[in-house]
Amino acid sequence: MIEVIELTVNGDRHRIGVPSHYTLLETLRYVLGYTGSKQGCDKGDCGSCTVLVDGVPTLSCILPVQEAVGHEVTTVEGLAGPDGPHALQDAFDICGAAQCGFCTPGVLIAAASLLRQTESPSRQEIKTALSGNLCRCTGYTKIYEAVELAARAAREGRKPSELVQR
Amino acid sequence: MKLEDLRDKQKERAASDEELRQALEREFQVIGRRLRRTDGLSKSTGRTVYTDDIVLPGMLHGKILRSPHPHAHIKSIDASRALALDGVHAVITGSDMPVPYGILPWTRDEHALCVDKVRYVGDGVAAVAAVDEETANRALELIEVEYEAVRHYLDPKEALADPETPIHEPHKPGENGNVSKRVHLEFGDVDRLMEGSEVVVESEYYFEGTTHTAIEPHCAIGYYDASGKLTVWSATQVPHYLHRELARVLDLDVARVRVIQPAVGGAFGGKSEPFDLEFCVAKLSMATGRPVKILYTREEVFYAHRGRHPMLMRYRTGADRSGRIKAVDASTVMDGGAYSSFGLVTTYYSGQLVTMPYAMESYRFDSTRVYTNKPCCGPKRGHGSVQPRFAIEVQLDRLAEALGVDPIELRRINSLGSDTRSVNEFRVTSNGFLECLEAVEAASDWTNKYRRLPYGRGVGVAGSCYISGTNYPIYPNEMPQSAVQLQVDRSGRVTVFCGASEIGQGSDSALAYIVAEELGVPLDYIRVLSADTDLTPVDLGAYSSRETFMCGNACIAAARQIKEQVRQAVGEAWGCRSKQVALAGGWAFDVRDTGQRLPISEAFNLAEARFGTLGAVGCYNTPKDIHGDYRGGTIGSSPAYSFTAHVVELAVDPETGFVEVEKIWIAHDCGRALNPILVEGQMEGSAYMGFAEAILEEHIFKESGLHNAPSLLDYKIPTSLDTPEMESLIVESLDPEGPYGAKEAGEGPLHPSIPAIANAIYDAVGVRPDRLPFSPPRVWTAIQARRVREEAGELVLWKREPRETALPVTGD
Amino acid sequence: MLRLHPYRYHRPRELAGALELLKVHAGNVMPIAGGTDLMPNMKHRLFTPGHLVSLKGVEGLYGIEERDGEIWIGACESLTSVASAPLVKRYYPSLAFAASTIANPMIRNQGTIGGNLCLDTRCTYYNQTHFWRQALGFCLKRDGDVCHVVKGGTRCVAAHSADTPPVLITLGASADLASTEGTRTIGVEEFFTADGVWNTARKPHEVVTRVRLPKPPAGLRTSYQKLRERKSVDFPILSVALAVAMADTDTVASISLVVSGLGAKPRTIGQLDDIAAGRQLDAGIIEAVAEQAYRQCHPLANIIVDSDWRRAMVRVYVRRAFRDIQSKSEAAA
Ligand SMILES: Cc1cc2nc3c(=O)[nH]c(=O)nc-3n(C[C@H](O)[C@H](O)[C@H](O)COP(=O)(O)OP(=O)(O)OC[C@H]3O[C@@H](n4cnc5c(N)ncnc54)[C@H](O)[C@@H]3O)c2cc1C
Ligand code: SF4
Ligand code: FES
Ligand code: FES
Repeated sequence: MIEVIELTVNGDRHRIGVPSHYTLLETLRYVLGYTGSKQGCDKGDCGSCTVLVDGVPTLSCILPVQEAVGHEVTTVEGLAGPDGPHALQDAFDICGAAQCGFCTPGVLIAAASLLRQTESPSRQEIKTALSGNLCRCTGYTKIYEAVELAARAAREGRKPSELVQR
Repeated sequence: MKLEDLRDKQKERAASDEELRQALEREFQVIGRRLRRTDGLSKSTGRTVYTDDIVLPGMLHGKILRSPHPHAHIKSIDASRALALDGVHAVITGSDMPVPYGILPWTRDEHALCVDKVRYVGDGVAAVAAVDEETANRALELIEVEYEAVRHYLDPKEALADPETPIHEPHKPGENGNVSKRVHLEFGDVDRLMEGSEVVVESEYYFEGTTHTAIEPHCAIGYYDASGKLTVWSATQVPHYLHRELARVLDLDVARVRVIQPAVGGAFGGKSEPFDLEFCVAKLSMATGRPVKILYTREEVFYAHRGRHPMLMRYRTGADRSGRIKAVDASTVMDGGAYSSFGLVTTYYSGQLVTMPYAMESYRFDSTRVYTNKPCCGPKRGHGSVQPRFAIEVQLDRLAEALGVDPIELRRINSLGSDTRSVNEFRVTSNGFLECLEAVEAASDWTNKYRRLPYGRGVGVAGSCYISGTNYPIYPNEMPQSAVQLQVDRSGRVTVFCGASEIGQGSDSALAYIVAEELGVPLDYIRVLSADTDLTPVDLGAYSSRETFMCGNACIAAARQIKEQVRQAVGEAWGCRSKQVALAGGWAFDVRDTGQRLPISEAFNLAEARFGTLGAVGCYNTPKDIHGDYRGGTIGSSPAYSFTAHVVELAVDPETGFVEVEKIWIAHDCGRALNPILVEGQMEGSAYMGFAEAILEEHIFKESGLHNAPSLLDYKIPTSLDTPEMESLIVESLDPEGPYGAKEAGEGPLHPSIPAIANAIYDAVGVRPDRLPFSPPRVWTAIQARRVREEAGELVLWKREPRETALPVTGD
Repeated sequence: MLRLHPYRYHRPRELAGALELLKVHAGNVMPIAGGTDLMPNMKHRLFTPGHLVSLKGVEGLYGIEERDGEIWIGACESLTSVASAPLVKRYYPSLAFAASTIANPMIRNQGTIGGNLCLDTRCTYYNQTHFWRQALGFCLKRDGDVCHVVKGGTRCVAAHSADTPPVLITLGASADLASTEGTRTIGVEEFFTADGVWNTARKPHEVVTRVRLPKPPAGLRTSYQKLRERKSVDFPILSVALAVAMADTDTVASISLVVSGLGAKPRTIGQLDDIAAGRQLDAGIIEAVAEQAYRQCHPLANIIVDSDWRRAMVRVYVRRAFRDIQSKSEAAA
C-alpha cells in the first residue's frame, strides 16, 4: 500500500508517496535520494544509517518511516550549511578520521549530537557516544581526535583548521 | 576577464617569498606532511558516491537464489513460475554462464552460478531481475530447485581422510579431490640442525577463521547498452581482473567491457576477486537490455567471505644456547572452504612469508589446503601470513622463556638485517626492524614491566615482516604492474589517471601528493581519476600492499617527464639552465632568486607552447630476479618488505577469563611516510583488526554447514568501547626502490597484534592460549587448568607468592 | 536489503483507539513501540502481521513520576530517559544502570521500557534470516516443530534477554496492562512464563501501559551485573540483578536475586532468606548465595557460548553484585 506522507528532511518539507512498510532509511535513500545515510546491516547492528530525528540520533534502518512524520530529520547532508562544512566534517578531513568513509555519516551524526550536549567531552564520553557506530577501518583513534578537535574549535569559536599546525 | 586576472587569483593562494625560501631548505614540500586526503571532505559531507548510491534510469533489481545445502547435486531447476510473476524480467541459471572462473588462471573452479553442484550453504544457483527488490525476492521463492544432497565435510581432517564424495574432481585420477593444494619446501638441513639444537620448543596452534566485514556490503550494477557494450560498476578492489573475467565468462570482446569502481566502503581483501553478483548483473542486463543492480544483504556478505583460512599449525623451533634460531619446522593444514580463490598463493604464503624478519639457519614447511563445504576462504589483510605469524612469534616467546632471555633481546639476536637474503632466498634491502623493536621497547617501558607486573597484568611483544607488492602478477605477463597517465590543463590543474583502487587506504591521495610534490601545484589543483578501465591505464588492484609502492613509482615517472619539460621551457624563457628552475608552492621560480618566479599555470603554458599539449605516462614493473631459483620461489617475493613490532599491555580477569587489551604500541617501518596521518591510520586500523581476531571474532559454522552467525550482531567486531588505545610509532628506513623510499603500511602492522596479545596473556596469568580467539571461556578454562596443576605442585604459582593463592580480582 | 513484508501502519493518538485496533485486527496485528526488537524480527520474517499499531503517538504512555507512593514509568518512555531520569537514578540506580547497558545509544533513544518488558526471547537458531532458518529446518518457536537446542525437546528454551526485567523483579515492580476488556496489574515476576515461544502473561491484544515501582525501603542496596561479549551493542548472555534489604546497617533483612539471559524466564533464586535473613553480610553468606544461584541455573546451548563457562559465571557475577553493593555502601559511608 502506498501512503502519502510529509517528511521534513534537512529543513525541506517533502510530500511523497511511499509503501507503508518502508523504513526511514529506504525512504531517504531510494525515494528522496539522500544517499549520504548508509546501510551496513539493515537491522540495527552497525550504526551507518544513523540520522537525527528532532536532534536525537536514531537508526533509520529500523525506524518505520511514519514515525518520522511530524519530526525534523537531519542527515549528514544537512550538517553542512551555507558557510561550509560543519566543524566536525572539517575536523574529520583534517584528522584522517574517514578512511573508506562508509561509517562516517553515521559517526558524524552521533558525534554532532554529543557536541550539542557537551562542550568538552572526555575520551570516555566520546567512546560511549560512538559505541553504536561500527568502524572497520580506523580503529577509532583518528575519529576521537577529530571529535576532540571539533569540540575545541567550537569552544574557542574558531575553525578546526586554525588549530592545527601543518 | 583577462588571463592576467585569472592568474592574480592564483598568486593570492601561492606561497610567499619567505615560504619559497623555506621551501628551498626542505627536501620535500608535500611528502611527509600531515595533509588532508583528496576525498576526505566529500566523504565527511556525505557526498561520496558508492555503488548502491547510483540509480540509473529504468534500473532493475536483481537477487540471487542460494543453496540451502552444503553439498548437493542440482537435479533440476524450474523457473517458470518465477518468470510468470508480474514485474519479473529475467531469470538466469548456471547453464547461462557455463565458463568457469577463478582469480588465478590455474585454478578456475567456480561458476558464476552453480552448474551441476552446490558446495556450501549460500552457493548461488539462479538469479532474477525484477522491477524492484521485493518482487525479485518473491520470484526467488517461486524458483523450484531439486537437489540431491551428498555427504558434506566441515572438518578438513575428515575431508582429507575420506575422498569418497570429493568436493571437486581430483586434479589427477586417483588423487583426493578434497585437496586443493599442497606445498612442501625445505631450506637447509632442518633435521640435522634441529637435532643439534640445544633448545627445541614445539607446539600446535589453531587459528580460527575470520572475515573482513567491510561495512559496505558488496554491490554491483551492470548495463549492456544498445551498442553491445557492457559496463559494470562494482564495489571491487580489482577492477582490472574483474574486467578480464567478465569478458571471459560472458564471452564478450574484452574491449567492449568497461569496469568502473565507484567509491568502496572498505574491502580488506574481501572484494579482491570477482563475485557472483558481478556476473549476474551483467548477464541479467544482457538478458533484459536494462541496467540491473544487485546489493548483497549482510548475510550474503558472510557467504561471499574469502576471509582468513582457519589453520592448524604444528611448529618446532630449535635454537642454540645463545638463542640463535637453527631450525624451524612447520606443518599446516588449511581449511579452504568450497573453492580455490587465491588458495594456491595462500598455501605458499603460509610458509614463505614468515621467515623474516629473522635469520634462521634452516627452514621447512609443509602446507596443505583442503576443500570443505563452507564459504570459500581467501585473502584477508595480511594474506596467508597472519596465522603462521601467530605461531612463529609465540614459539619465540616459548624459546625466550626456555632460554631465560628477554623476548625483545631474542628477536634482536635473530634479526635478519638489511641488504641480505632470507633463508628462503628472498632479497631484502631496507629493514628497520631493529628500530621498530627499540621504539616499542622504549615507548612501552618494557623493561620495567615484563614479568614485573602483578598477577593478571602482562606485556607481550611480537615482530613481523610483510610484502610491498608481489613481484609477479597473478596472470603471467611481462607488462607493467602499474601505470599512470597525467594530463595538464592550462589552468594549472593536473589530472592523474590510474587504474589503482582507492578502498579507503588513501591511494588516490598518495598519487595526488606525489604530483603536487613533483609539479609544485597546490594539492587542490589535482584531480585523481582512478579505477575505470575505459579511462585509466592498468593497475592490478588493491592487494598485497602494492598500491603506494607501484603506482607511486609509476606516478613519479610520469610527473618527472612533465617537470623536466616545464623547467626547460621556463629556463629558456629566463635564459637560465633548467636545473635552476624549481617548481613548488604554486610557482616556478629561480632557486638563486625566489623573486624571479611565475605562477605555475603560466609555467605550464610556456611548456605547452614549447612542447605541445602536456601529458605523460609512467609505469612501474617489479624486478624479477630477487628470489630463489626454485619452484614457488617467485611467490611471496616482493621488491621491498615492511617491518613491524608491537608491544601489548593487557589485564586478564582470572575469574572470568576476559582479556582487556589496554594499549598497543605499534612501531612500523613503512619506508617513508608519504603522509604520516594516513600511515598512522593504516597502523591503527591494522592493529585494531588483529586485536579483534585475537579476542572476539570467529567465522564458524553449525554442524549443518550453516554459518553460525551471519550478522553484525553475532559476528563480533569491536565497538569503540572495546578497542584498545593505540600509539603509532613510525619508523622510516627509506627503501631504495620505493617512491621517495616508501614501502607499505596497510597490512604489515596487523600481524604482531595477535601473538603479542598471546604473549602478554602468558605474562599476565601464565597460560598460553594456543587457539584463537582468546575468548573468555578459553582463557578461563586454561587458567582453571593451570590452577589445578599449581595446586598439585606441578607448576609454580605464576607471579604470586604462596600466601596469595586466593586469586586477586580485577574490576569489571 | 532486508525488505519488510507489506503491512499497514496505524498511529493512534489515544490508548482506546490503539486497543480497538488491536481487537479489530486480532490475529493479524501487533503493537509496536520503539520497534528496535520488532523491526529486525520482521526483517527476519519472525513476525508478519498485516497491521502494526504504533504506541509512540499515544499520549498516555509517557511520564516518569511519583504517584501514590510509587514511581510510575510510562511504557513508551525511552531507555535513555529511564537511564537518566532523576527519579529513577535516585530511587532505583540499578534500574537506571541496567537501562544504560542496553544495546547502543541510538537504540536506547528508540527502544522503550515497555518494549523491553515484552522483548521476544532469543536463540541462535531463531534470530536468523528466513533463508537461514529454512535451510536448517524451522523450529517450534516459529514455523516448525522441533527444537534444535534440546534435541527431541517439545518446549522452546529461547532466552529471555532483556536487561531491565530482572532488575524490576528485584525491585518488586509490577506492570499495568490494558485491553478493550479493561485493565489489570501484574507483578513483573508473574509477568514472565517459562515458555520460550511466548514468555509473557500478556495477551496479544493487551498493551503494557506503565511500569510501577514501590518506593524502595530505606537502605535497600542494589546491583545489576551484565555479562556480554562486547562492551556495547550486545544482549546479555547472563545477567544478575540483586537487591538486599537491610534490617540495620549490618544485618540482612532479605535478599532478592534474579539471574537471567539463560532460559525463557528470568530466574528468581529461591531459598535465600534461609541463608541470609538476620545475618551479617559477610563472605560466607555471599558464597552461600552464589552457590545457591549456581545450583539453580543451568545454561543451555541457545547461544554459542561454552555452557560450562556460562554456568561458572553465575557464581562469579553473583559475587560481583555483592561486591558492587558493598563498595557502593562503603563509598557512601
Ligand atoms: C543491535 C541490538 C542490540 C540490542 N541489545 C539489547 C540489550 O543489550 N538488552 C536489551 O534488553 N535489549 C536489547 N535490544 C532489544 C531492544 O532494543 C530493547 O529490548 C528495547 O527495549 C525494545 O523496546 P522497543 O520499544 O523497541 O520494542 P519493540 O520492538 O517496539 O517491541 C518489542 C515487542 O514488544 C511488543 N511491545 C512493545 N511495546 C509494547 C507495549 N507497551 N505493550 C505491549 N507490547 C509491546 C511488540 O509488539 C514487540 O513484540 C537490542 C536490539 C538491537 C537491534
Ligand atoms: S530453543 Fe529450540 S524451539 Fe526455541 S527458538 Fe531455539 S531452537 Fe527454536
Ligand atoms: S544499517 Fe542501520 S544499524 Fe546498520
Ligand atoms: S572509515 Fe571505513 S568503516 Fe569507518
